[in-house]
Amino acid sequence: MKIALNTLKYYVDINVSVEELCDKMVMAGFEVESIENLRDKMSNVVAAKIVSIAPHENSDHLQICQMDTGEGELVQIVTGAQNVFEGALVPAALHDSYLPGGVHITKGKLRGVESRGMLCSGGELELTDADYPGASVNGILILKDEYAPGTDMRDILGLNDYVIDFKITANRPDCNCIIGVAKEVSVVLGTAFKMPATDYKTVGGDINDYIKIDVENYDLCPRYVGRVVKNLRIKESPEWMKQVIKTCGMRPINNIVDITNFVMLETGQPMHAFNYNDLADKHIIVRNAKSGEFIQTLDEKKHNLTGDMLVIADGQKPSCLAGIMGGLESEITETTTDLFLESAKFKRDNIRRTGRALGVRTESSGRFEKGIDINNTGFAMDRALNLIEALDAGDIIEGVIDKNKGLPQNRILTCTTDSINDLLGLVIEKEEMVRILTALGLETKLDGNKLTVSVPSIRDDIEGRADLAEEIMRIYGYDHIVGTPMTGSVRRGRKNAERIKSDLIKSAMISMGANEIATYSFISSKALDTLKLSEDDCRRRAVKLLNPLGDEYSTMRTQLITSMLTVLSTNYNRKNTDVRFFEISKRFIPSSLPLTDAPAEIPTMSIGIYGAEEDFFTLKGIIEEVMALFGKTAKFQKSNEVFLHPGRQAEAILDGDCVAVFGEVHPEVLQGYDIGVRAYVAEIYLDKLFCIVPEKTVYKPLPKFPAVARDFAFLCDKDIPVGNLQDIMREAAGRLCEDVTLFDVYEGNQIPESKKSVAFSVTLRSAEATLTDEQIDAAVKRILKKLEAAGATLRM
Amino acid sequence: MKEKLEQLKCEALAAIEKSDSAAALEEIRIKYLGKKGELTAILKSMGSLSAEERPVVGQMANEVRGAIDAALSEKSTVMEKAAQEAKLAAEAIDVTLPSKKAKIGALHPLNKVLDDMLDIFQSMGFDVVDGPEVETDHYCFEQLNVPADHPARDMQDTFYLTDSLLLRTQTSAAQARTMEKTQPPIRMVCPGRVFRADEVDATHSPVFHQIEGLVVDKGITMCDLKGVLEQFAHEIYGPETKVKFRPSFFPFTEPSVEVDVTCSECGGKGCRVCKGAGWIEILGAGMVHPNVLKNCGIDPEEYTGFAFGIGLDRLTTTRYKISDIRLLFENDKRFLDQF
Repeated sequence: MKIALNTLKYYVDINVSVEELCDKMVMAGFEVESIENLRDKMSNVVAAKIVSIAPHENSDHLQICQMDTGEGELVQIVTGAQNVFEGALVPAALHDSYLPGGVHITKGKLRGVESRGMLCSGGELELTDADYPGASVNGILILKDEYAPGTDMRDILGLNDYVIDFKITANRPDCNCIIGVAKEVSVVLGTAFKMPATDYKTVGGDINDYIKIDVENYDLCPRYVGRVVKNLRIKESPEWMKQVIKTCGMRPINNIVDITNFVMLETGQPMHAFNYNDLADKHIIVRNAKSGEFIQTLDEKKHNLTGDMLVIADGQKPSCLAGIMGGLESEITETTTDLFLESAKFKRDNIRRTGRALGVRTESSGRFEKGIDINNTGFAMDRALNLIEALDAGDIIEGVIDKNKGLPQNRILTCTTDSINDLLGLVIEKEEMVRILTALGLETKLDGNKLTVSVPSIRDDIEGRADLAEEIMRIYGYDHIVGTPMTGSVRRGRKNAERIKSDLIKSAMISMGANEIATYSFISSKALDTLKLSEDDCRRRAVKLLNPLGDEYSTMRTQLITSMLTVLSTNYNRKNTDVRFFEISKRFIPSSLPLTDAPAEIPTMSIGIYGAEEDFFTLKGIIEEVMALFGKTAKFQKSNEVFLHPGRQAEAILDGDCVAVFGEVHPEVLQGYDIGVRAYVAEIYLDKLFCIVPEKTVYKPLPKFPAVARDFAFLCDKDIPVGNLQDIMREAAGRLCEDVTLFDVYEGNQIPESKKSVAFSVTLRSAEATLTDEQIDAAVKRILKKLEAAGATLRM
Repeated sequence: MKEKLEQLKCEALAAIEKSDSAAALEEIRIKYLGKKGELTAILKSMGSLSAEERPVVGQMANEVRGAIDAALSEKSTVMEKAAQEAKLAAEAIDVTLPSKKAKIGALHPLNKVLDDMLDIFQSMGFDVVDGPEVETDHYCFEQLNVPADHPARDMQDTFYLTDSLLLRTQTSAAQARTMEKTQPPIRMVCPGRVFRADEVDATHSPVFHQIEGLVVDKGITMCDLKGVLEQFAHEIYGPETKVKFRPSFFPFTEPSVEVDVTCSECGGKGCRVCKGAGWIEILGAGMVHPNVLKNCGIDPEEYTGFAFGIGLDRLTTTRYKISDIRLLFENDKRFLDQF
């Protein structure tokens, strides 16, 4: 809500500086978005009289003016404008002056002739005809000949004010107007508030002879007040009224329209003026639109209406979109002679829905959406009539039609002063509470420690003790709140189990040299195409946002790989070599589509790596370490994700369940992401790891007896996985097996074409005694026999 | 005989003194103390001595042996030490050569700051809970005293998945979930990701992070709220930090306040960071609205509470002086490596 300080002063005494006023209002709950000093708009721009004009010898369009700036000595200014004449009073920006927008004017030479400033057009001073007559003309602004040369243009334009932009919170719709803010100022400063006049005289007659009003839907229109004004005298509004309207970003039109807008800004009650003579059957019907009906509004847009939209119709058709915008047909123009004036309350959510549906939002609809006071409707009407009389804008017909189903009375709240102090943790005197509440317009009685508060409908945000406490507190001052330390049982707060496990993984990943990344939870609907996933891949069954910011952020991700690839791509293209990244986030998996319940949010980790030191096996190593955190050793087997290299990918299996898929990214996918090196990604399903019940760590005695190591080299088919051989050896060696490690895989020279040589070291140990040769030989025999059966023969 | 021994000792000690290698020392040892050495020879010839002389000479011979042994051992130690020193000298390296990297990674800056914050709140007895990112209208709005069509809904541009499912706009959604499940006393924080339909720019992101705090118990006051936030501010910004309450409005708290802290950059004097104000707004808070307590089955006549919501992203960008929030989600390694 933008209000000029001088406007505010009309309603309330202000005895402090604008800065102090704003500070105090902030501490009372009215944040100040900006304070604009209108004098800052320009400086050193004065009214100056053109004494003489001479042609410029080096230019056929420039003219040299000798200006009287009130200083005695004439000032020479060169201008390119053609509408200047001797004797004209014009705005002159002198040497070292500033124009709106920060333009700095200094003296200089124009084609060799000194010019000590600039003559200004209305546009250069950011003025329109509404600000000063003739300001929209293309050329130098010619001022009325009523100011002495040298008069500061800011004084001529009335730029002697501050405009304060108050941010009004959603609970205080009553402060979306000058009176609302002024009342708060009066409480904050402790000064008097002056209510504007609402008296007027009528010219007699009876409104019922002029108009009939029917409200068909009291639910959507709980109150409708109408008046008739005859013999309109349409003209320009006075300057003060236009200023207030312009300050709020609206456009002055004519006295009648301006009065409706001014009253809205002043009282918060939107009003609407109809051209009485355009109303068919002289009948106003407040009703829902009928299907097929339409209206052309004041902005000349045509809207098709639906049955849930409220209109003000005449006897034949909709004449106004209730509370939002008037119809073009019943517009007030310079030739309008008679007026039907409306002041009404419309239900806020209906206005909101209609406005949204039609894409229209106005100062009026905004106020209805936030909520207006039903008891203010009549007051605003009286104020408008007072102004019509004061501005001699027309003749007021006797009588008012006020349609309503009863107006709400003040609500009575009771609570004890102790309960308010208990909530705040303070000891505020009872009398102080009463004083504050009364000043805020809440009539309050004190009986012992019991407060009885009468709350008018304009403050329907006040519902109980907490609201009263806030009202008292914001005026009493929040600086009185003194922090007290927490009391209660002494214990450290706990994290939930998942977060503890997730933290554990994070610290392990970091110790393995990985950086944690953070990416958005929603991705492009096309992201999955980059993974080449088949049409029936379940990851394509993703939840979509109904109102995304754009397709780029439209789909809740069902996997973390695309986000990781995007980050790898960013880094690759910024020439970052060697990266190791991970992210722990959620996958969103719907149980059904269209969505009926909230999707499952599955904790998942992605890993992405590339660089000279990285390959499939470094990634595998990381995954093994993560499994080890949970005391588990996974089995690895080939997998078949389309986005991974068909020969370089695997899944990790724990207890028969796939807990991770990883591998080298498919070259085509890499190309799609513009990544020019081999990159490796993994997705680890943390939900499955989180389910693992950790085994208690129990110390195992260190071995007392020596181990025996035996090395073997085998020849086997190329495609037999080494892991299988290892498993066989472990199983064959049985209880004595401490470790089986691979130390060489060889293909080539001296090895048959389809074969490979694999070499293992087997470590045997017994916890009970030093192994005997017989025990060792027996174990070796078992190993060789099993391997033989699996197709691996010992190389001699 | 005695003279012979004396002479032998002198000769041997001189030779040891002069020797310059382990081999030379060994030769000396064999020459004098070996089985066929000179001292042994003298001892062998002791049979020719008288019974009185024998113990005297024997003792003397032992002394000579002892002296030679000691000298040998001493010289040997000196030579070993010298050899060791020579070896170490030869092995000297240029310590300014680059290291063999033992690289560790880093938490994302958001989570680094979050960890600090959780630690502070845990130390004050707050449990850490998590809530879903996809919320129902019920928990994100209705239970929090924001019924349908309430103007306060306009304060937040919500991403919807269906009419009643949405991406939570605030971690406050966890308040209702916690209160429904838990009877007071409640003391919890809920960190998490939240979503609002803000176009991406240097200070806005449709995805950001909050930490919600909630305390419900008998006799909780607004002064308790300030106490907790002061403690928090002191830990995060330093013990000199002051906390200021400014009245504000949130549908789920009453009274509601915005909370400012003295600018950690200038200490409250006013600088570029705080735009001259001396204060920086860090969070919104208030006393839990009685309707919210009621909605969640807690009697507002018996219990009171407070809640607060802290913007993690803002806290992170101010702490590290990050000028553009987009950097947090871009994940450039050179950026991530700095934390």
